[in-house]
Amino acid sequence: MDISFIIVQFVSGLTMATLLFLVASGLTLIFGVGNVFNFAHGSFYMLGAYLAYQTVSAWYSNFWVAAFVACLGAGIVGMLAEFLFLRRIYGRAEEGGFQILLTYSFILVIDDIVKIIWGSEYKSILRPSGLRGSAEVLGITIPTYNLAIIGFGLAVVILAWLVLTRTRPGRIARATAIDREMMATMGVNVPLTMTLVFGIATALGGFAGALAAPLRSVTPGAGIEVIIDSLIVVVIGGMGNFWGAWLGSLILGEVIAFAVVIVPEWASVVSYVVMVLVLIFKPEGLFAPRSVGKV
Amino acid sequence: MVHKKALALMVVALVALLVAPLTVFAQEKVIKIGALYPMTGRAGLYGLDSVDAAEMAIDEINAKGGVKGYKLLLINTDSKAKPDHAVRVARRYIDDEKVHFLFGVVSSAVGLALTEVSKQNKKIFIGTDHASTQLTVDKFQPYYFRVSNNTFQSMAAGALYLKELKQTKPWETIAYIGPDYAYGHDQWNELKYNLERFGIKHKVVGEYWPKLFAADYTAFVTSILKDKPDILISGLWGGDTVAFVKQAAPYGLFEKTLFCSPDAGGNYELMSATGAELPLGLVLSARHHNNWPETAANKDYVDKFFKRTGRYPTYAAEGAYAGILAISQAVDKVGNPDDTEALVKALEGMKIQLPEDPDGFTSYIDPGTHQIVQVQAIGVSVANDKYPPAKRMLGQWKIYKAEDLLPPKEYIDSKRKK
Repeated sequence: MDISFIIVQFVSGLTMATLLFLVASGLTLIFGVGNVFNFAHGSFYMLGAYLAYQTVSAWYSNFWVAAFVACLGAGIVGMLAEFLFLRRIYGRAEEGGFQILLTYSFILVIDDIVKIIWGSEYKSILRPSGLRGSAEVLGITIPTYNLAIIGFGLAVVILAWLVLTRTRPGRIARATAIDREMMATMGVNVPLTMTLVFGIATALGGFAGALAAPLRSVTPGAGIEVIIDSLIVVVIGGMGNFWGAWLGSLILGEVIAFAVVIVPEWASVVSYVVMVLVLIFKPEGLFAPRSVGKV
Repeated sequence: MVHKKALALMVVALVALLVAPLTVFAQEKVIKIGALYPMTGRAGLYGLDSVDAAEMAIDEINAKGGVKGYKLLLINTDSKAKPDHAVRVARRYIDDEKVHFLFGVVSSAVGLALTEVSKQNKKIFIGTDHASTQLTVDKFQPYYFRVSNNTFQSMAAGALYLKELKQTKPWETIAYIGPDYAYGHDQWNELKYNLERFGIKHKVVGEYWPKLFAADYTAFVTSILKDKPDILISGLWGGDTVAFVKQAAPYGLFEKTLFCSPDAGGNYELMSATGAELPLGLVLSARHHNNWPETAANKDYVDKFFKRTGRYPTYAAEGAYAGILAISQAVDKVGNPDDTEALVKALEGMKIQLPEDPDGFTSYIDPGTHQIVQVQAIGVSVANDKYPPAKRMLGQWKIYKAEDLLPPKEYIDSKRKK
């Protein structure tokens, strides 16, 4: 393995890790702040991909507009889902079970809605103009769109860090994660906070779906395909920990990228191996669970 | 209490509604076909196309008065592409629904599970799509019949293509990428077997096993680039091929290596999903092509499907269409759908004219393996927008005779001994 190949493979891992992180971050945010395990988070990713496809193919051909529509659409649907359904089960004795039933039913409903509107055929969209080529650095070819995705991932990390640590809403979100009742007694509108956090998280998922759409096949069931890996990321990083999701994505992306080369016949199971190792040696995840803003 | 009563009434009404259509059908003589196609997830398109095509064939036959006084009736349940679930449904089909045939199945994993149910219950299972050769060779049982090509046939055709290619483009190294389950592994083993059998010199430089329905292939692409194979064989199918092609194209993989996917790579959904993005010159095939052979029968079949559904069919559709024709031909010969042993005899060696048969050839079922024997055409992606939304279709066909693609007797014997 020469050094340039290691760099190429590392960048491949980063691309994978970034898309993984954009999905997993939303999943972990909802869990961290709301203590809700949103099994349907992948479906918002899928919804984002379809909304981007719809925008580009029928309304307005600019990819970035499409990504915005995907973000907005997934966020609004997410807030509605929280406001109309999830809110009703908070604080019930059987909340955990209900959460899984309810969010699992979201998967089925969203999958069917997508199938009714867009059909079962695979869809795909072009990479945004300006990002269709590839960059040649030191004899290494890397598609510019992959580099852009990595850039977006970094931007989201920095933005999230700023919001969570430097702004009032960020502090409220972190405090709500720690003690919901205390926040309510201090006059914070907790239900509103929950709805907004849900909206932001699902918007992130929608954005990930839009970014992934030019690279992957847009198909019903795409949500399930990403939720498993995202779940592994969240378990590795620590349930509900935003930075854990980031580190978890990086680890998983790179482990897969190099497993493909070193142990190809095991490539499809290494992610589970990593998860099992973490569960054995650090069952709470690499970072403390449910501390949204702690670094 | 009022609520409970209302609820009870609703349940009764619902049950009545569900049962009503069945009781109507029970009045006339029917051939009941219990299908198990996936209707959800990534394989959902294959299921949808199969059911639409099967119903198309059924409507045609029933419109002409059915078969020997029997009307055909298809019931389908979402297989969810899960073997254990499919087995439960199949048992219900046999015990409660009293179906005459089990039918369908996209995933080879589900097919392998159902052939056991078929064997135990002596219920004929018509396989229309799944391609793992194991079903007709290693795990052969008398009540199973397959009406679409298996991976051995595709890989034999692929190997012959590569043999001819040596003359125009000398190649030496070869790599493989395919899904990490029976279907993916079978293809690679069979290709290697056929390369040996035809005496084609080659050096394997890489083997890659992503999981089925993987979303991201970037790391595989960059690693394949490092291997620099002359030929990349792909055993991916459906949305996996779409994702792989989209991710590999900007890396320039298709300029550096010849991409060759002889079993499922040339299925119409790849063309419809990728449009003008699909690189030219990829070597692809599938179990049915919308633009080959250019016979009246094939054109007629594709047009009918398009009129009915508003989309062009994937190969899964033709398999299901063939399955219904095979059932109706068998029942026509036997006179009723109840005499299973006579139906098995009727299916063995049956000749059946299908849309994918070129002029002068008729598909037939090999009595020794219960596998349909068909011609295979391998093509290259070329510009062609006659089947929108596709902007590319296959062309520059190379045709392989059906008999040349069958597994040799010693291969079958050695597999069955195990």
